[in-house]
Amino acid sequence: MTTASTSPAADAALAVSGVSKVFGRFRKKVYALRGVDMTVARGSVFGLLGPNGAGKSTLVKVLLTIITPKSCSGTMLGAPVGHKPTLGRIGYLPEHHRFPPYLKGKQALDHFAALSGVARTDRRQRVGETLELVGMSEWADHKVGGYSKGMRQRLGIAQALMNDPELVILDEPTDGVDPVGRRDIRKVVERIASEGKTVFLNSHLLGELELVCDRVAIMVKGRVAAQGTLDELTAPDRAYEIRLADDEMPPEQVKTMLPQDAKIEGSVIRLASDDPTLAQPVLRELLSNGRTIQSARPVRPSLEDLFMRVVGDDSGPGGSRSEGAGK
Amino acid sequence: MILLLRQTAAVFVDAYRELNAKKLFWITLALSGLIVLVFAGVGFDDDGVSFLIWDLGFIPIAADVLSPEIFYKIIFTTFGIGIWLTWIATVLALVSTAQMVPDFVASGTVELWLVRPMSRVRLLATKYLAGLLFVAMQVLAFSGASFFVIGFRGGAWEPGIFLAVPIVVLFFSYLFCIQTLAGLITKSTIASLLTTLLFWFALFLLNTTDIALLQFKLVPEVRQEVIQARIDRQEENTLVLIRSDWREAGVEDWETRVPTQDEYDEKNPLIAPNREELEELLATPNTVAVWHTGIFIAKSLLPKTSETIELLNRNLLSSNELEQLAETFRDDEESDAREPAPNWSDQQIMEESSRRSQIEIRNRSIWWVAGTSVGFEIFVLMLALVIFARRDF
Repeated sequence: MTTASTSPAADAALAVSGVSKVFGRFRKKVYALRGVDMTVARGSVFGLLGPNGAGKSTLVKVLLTIITPKSCSGTMLGAPVGHKPTLGRIGYLPEHHRFPPYLKGKQALDHFAALSGVARTDRRQRVGETLELVGMSEWADHKVGGYSKGMRQRLGIAQALMNDPELVILDEPTDGVDPVGRRDIRKVVERIASEGKTVFLNSHLLGELELVCDRVAIMVKGRVAAQGTLDELTAPDRAYEIRLADDEMPPEQVKTMLPQDAKIEGSVIRLASDDPTLAQPVLRELLSNGRTIQSARPVRPSLEDLFMRVVGDDSGPGGSRSEGAGK
Repeated sequence: MILLLRQTAAVFVDAYRELNAKKLFWITLALSGLIVLVFAGVGFDDDGVSFLIWDLGFIPIAADVLSPEIFYKIIFTTFGIGIWLTWIATVLALVSTAQMVPDFVASGTVELWLVRPMSRVRLLATKYLAGLLFVAMQVLAFSGASFFVIGFRGGAWEPGIFLAVPIVVLFFSYLFCIQTLAGLITKSTIASLLTTLLFWFALFLLNTTDIALLQFKLVPEVRQEVIQARIDRQEENTLVLIRSDWREAGVEDWETRVPTQDEYDEKNPLIAPNREELEELLATPNTVAVWHTGIFIAKSLLPKTSETIELLNRNLLSSNELEQLAETFRDDEESDAREPAPNWSDQQIMEESSRRSQIEIRNRSIWWVAGTSVGFEIFVLMLALVIFARRDF
């Protein structure tokens, strides 16, 4: 099912195509993934977003051998997806993870790092470093069972970094974390990225992704609906907006000089490009006609705007019951 | 190789930490210690059995008829292993470990284990072996303490005591494989525990049926021997009378001639009914034997818990020592009761059948006892490994 690709994308941190997964059998089939193609460049921060049930976690689990795909071809860190030894070079924070409650924080880190093959001396050093990184040093000797949700999440991130991974996959890293904790986790992600590691963030919190991601992919109903840098994805919706004083309307001279794709909505003129040089003639004409400019600014849609545009009304639970229904 | 050792060590250390965190582990260990202390408190000399300062005169044995070495070994195997470790401590061990697999495969936990450079088969197999740590540690502690008790009190430093560790662990593993499979399938602690206890109970019933049917299967055989002995004695006595008649009648070869069956029957009318009874017995198909064969085949396919524990007795107590033990408890009247006698009652026939069945059970090969049981365990484990390796989490 899983084959190595020989495409140029093979030197990417992740390059997969045709990833599909079907749960259940016969009439109870649920098509969770429907041929996902995705490329994540090394050293980038990649955000995977989508509504609940879009297949984000399923995709991550397929990549990490937790779920067996129906079909999947591609590579992860240069090795075919599913290559077990490669998992030793990957850090993973599962969604809703549960550490054994009888372990102390540092024991949990040591244990899972040993399973990843980290040598004892390295583990000792890394425990201190990663706990320091996630701000949990004081809790190293406390049992995990007594941790709050936010603390467990921080410990989970530390666990994902114990093997000094080349690729870090974080599934909903800020789930259950307060705003201060979210900011801290964002800083941790930035720190990891600054070390040259590839970060794969799976989240439905758009604001977080927008702040840290170089590239994003939006999944809807088991497919990648959009993929690229934020600039690339938002380019079609970028604009330059000129807002006049409340009761003023654009004069006829201005209306005739506007490009065809420009829009006028009451006292607001919207140019279909965020290039400020294109707006200068319009601004001059407005001023010469005695209009008062309340504001003039380039408008770039937020990730949320992009998300809503891509997902649209199609944001129900992802997997559909039959193949035909999803097509 | 280093990676393999590192991961294996991590799984075992984790299993130890998990046990260490369980109160039941320490409660079981404390109870084991208490039992060894009681064991050490038992005295045995020429005056009989005592406990601390109390004389237990109602137990009719003393060191002049049974060596202290055998006495303490029997206490160890019968009470220490036979009752404490294989019943009570095993239930406690099953309760303690029932949570292990369901917790391991729970959503949120299993992902942390699966995303390691380690195959699923090796992961579950290592987890399984680590799960046997509970019993191994308990038995090792118990056997170690008992080793010193038997050494100091019985005067025998018997390293064979430590055979209890692999044997009891093997016994426990028969149940633990079922618990692992049930835990994997149901993901429920209660369901896996109940399934295991039910399975154990089924094995107990099967074993009891085997023993009972074997005994009943042997009854006609012993009865035939008794009747044959009766006929032989009657013919022997009748022969004297017939030859006396022949001598008086002037038959030439009266001393060497062998009477025919009719001549015996004519002289002693009591022989014929016995012979008829014997012929009838021989002609009657032994239906119990058929049933026993079925049970035996079923048992051959399943784990043999009782016989596995019995392997320890076989190793600890030699045939001579068992003979000495049997002699101690056998009444003088019964001392020559091995050869079926013509006048045996039904009760004596049953007792002899029971004795023979015990011998037959004891003589069953180690291959049959342990080999086929391990075969079953491997089958169940393979099933669990296949399920675990193929499942999506």
